[in-house]
Amino acid sequence: MTESILELRNVEKYFGDFVAVERINLEVKKGEFFTIVGPSGSGKTTMIRMLVGMDKPSRGDILMSGERVNDVPANRRPTCMVFQSLALFPHKTVGENIEFPLKLRGETKNNRKTRAIELLEQLHLSEAYYAKKVSECSGGEKQRVALARALAFDPEILFFDEPLSALDYRLRKTLEKELKDIQRRTGKTFVYITHSLEEAMVMSDRISIMRDGRIVQIGTPDEIYNKPANSFVAQFMGEVNQFNVTRQEDARFLDTDTQDSYVGPPGADLESGILIVRPERIQILAEGEAADTEIAGTVQNQYVLGSRVQYEVKVKKRSLLVETMIGDEWNVGESVRLGWNSDQAFLLAR
Amino acid sequence: MSATETAFRNRKSEKAIRIWTIVILLFIYLPMVAVFIASFSKLRFFMFPVKAWSLDWYASVFSSIEIRDYLGTSLLIAGVVTIVSVVLAIAGALAFARYEWKGRSLYQKLILLPIFFPQAVLGLAILLWSSALDISPGWQLAVFAHLVWIIPIVTLVISIQVYGFDPSVEEAAYDLGASRWQVFTEVTLPILWPGIFSGALFAFLLSWGNFPLSTFTTGAEQTVPVWLYAKMVAGYSPQVPALGSLTTLMAGLVLFGGYWLGRRKAKK
Repeated sequence: MTESILELRNVEKYFGDFVAVERINLEVKKGEFFTIVGPSGSGKTTMIRMLVGMDKPSRGDILMSGERVNDVPANRRPTCMVFQSLALFPHKTVGENIEFPLKLRGETKNNRKTRAIELLEQLHLSEAYYAKKVSECSGGEKQRVALARALAFDPEILFFDEPLSALDYRLRKTLEKELKDIQRRTGKTFVYITHSLEEAMVMSDRISIMRDGRIVQIGTPDEIYNKPANSFVAQFMGEVNQFNVTRQEDARFLDTDTQDSYVGPPGADLESGILIVRPERIQILAEGEAADTEIAGTVQNQYVLGSRVQYEVKVKKRSLLVETMIGDEWNVGESVRLGWNSDQAFLLAR
Repeated sequence: MSATETAFRNRKSEKAIRIWTIVILLFIYLPMVAVFIASFSKLRFFMFPVKAWSLDWYASVFSSIEIRDYLGTSLLIAGVVTIVSVVLAIAGALAFARYEWKGRSLYQKLILLPIFFPQAVLGLAILLWSSALDISPGWQLAVFAHLVWIIPIVTLVISIQVYGFDPSVEEAAYDLGASRWQVFTEVTLPILWPGIFSGALFAFLLSWGNFPLSTFTTGAEQTVPVWLYAKMVAGYSPQVPALGSLTTLMAGLVLFGGYWLGRRKAKK
């Protein structure tokens, strides 16, 4: 059994009348990569400021390794954070930045330098960076320096406040993998905050989704993707097909907008709700193929997304999104049969 | 328009700009040059053009114990004003530009207002107050008067630096285990250093050259500008332009020395 390193019990934060976060309960295990995801204004920044010790919760308790830390200020917590702006010291060199936490602890100059160069190497930066100015580093290099400085502190929990959001797509992808790799190698607990579920999926062991100051769902990436708690979570990852349905008989559901009939997911226990099918879970059926639910439509648009192709298929008055691997070509205007098996859909409360 | 024609036009406008700049600089500096020339006059009276030249008046300035006293007083006042105003203005600038607090916008206006007070009125006001409080004029009172006018200016100069400063840098240092004091000495102060340095230069030079405040408040302990004025009104001798040139030169040295130091530090 792994021990819990961070625990939040009924944490709430108010700013005057404004409720920033409420009733937050969560537990992070030692060595876990835990990500808090939410759109802007969901309270995730308030959360991380309380976790780091920059703000105090208005109510509830924050526990680290079983000890209540509500009143422990940021500079006395065994944690540190990589800021969104990175907050590198502009008047210090790369080396001095990394050494800063060690200098505060009174380490000798030699020890500090050895450690800083070790960390630079670990983050794929050559020794030459040691004497460089921060302003001479590129965006990606600055990211690495900020991470090295945080690692030099040797925190029990390392927090991240969307540090990758300002980078271009490819660099972000590289750094996401590097971050995950470093987390695995060092065995440290990482708590990461982002607005991108996609980013969270790549790196995290578990994800917590926030909306309007509350946690909507906590789960592994797989659970979040395949068993979203509600349509907000389901839509967070990308476009989905949604149908308003009520139970017709046994496992069949009736679309209240189009009067189509679908086979519901196995074990669905709601009488009505939103049936959700992701675009890549719908197939365009070839001659002779069959599925639990089948509906006819006309291809309206085709978008190539790299390795996959997205089709907009008109079914009665609405259009559905369908994604297939590149290779199967369907033409715009062609009549097609769409189909999905019952276990590819999920039913959520409205 | 052909390429050569554009080049010609550019050269023409460039030349015009250069001439214009020289004219403006002459306009600003010529009066001082007049004083400088007058200081080398052999005659006791202020006459232009100068017919006979000598360095005698400089020699008499350097040998005068009286003038040495005035220089000492000026230096003492400027030194104390610089130190006190910089210390107070650092705190004032952080309140001005860094922290959100109730009444900040009112403070921002009030702190700047003294810059625009007519200085002679301010000097008189301080003199009246001091006599009401039974404090006799002297260099201490002059320091106080200078501070009333100079602290706002230094606050403004340092505030400009504070505005360009990312507060998350302080938070990061704190988060990495620094105490409040360490955050201040390791992060805030070094980042604000260029602003503090220019603030200190301003403070020194404004105090060094100030006449209207000093004339009311120094009492018997005169400063160089006060003495210069008194001599001009009664008992002129070319010691006035000689000392005037020397004090201007000193101000220039402080200013350029400051620039030079600042640039050397930036290069490092």
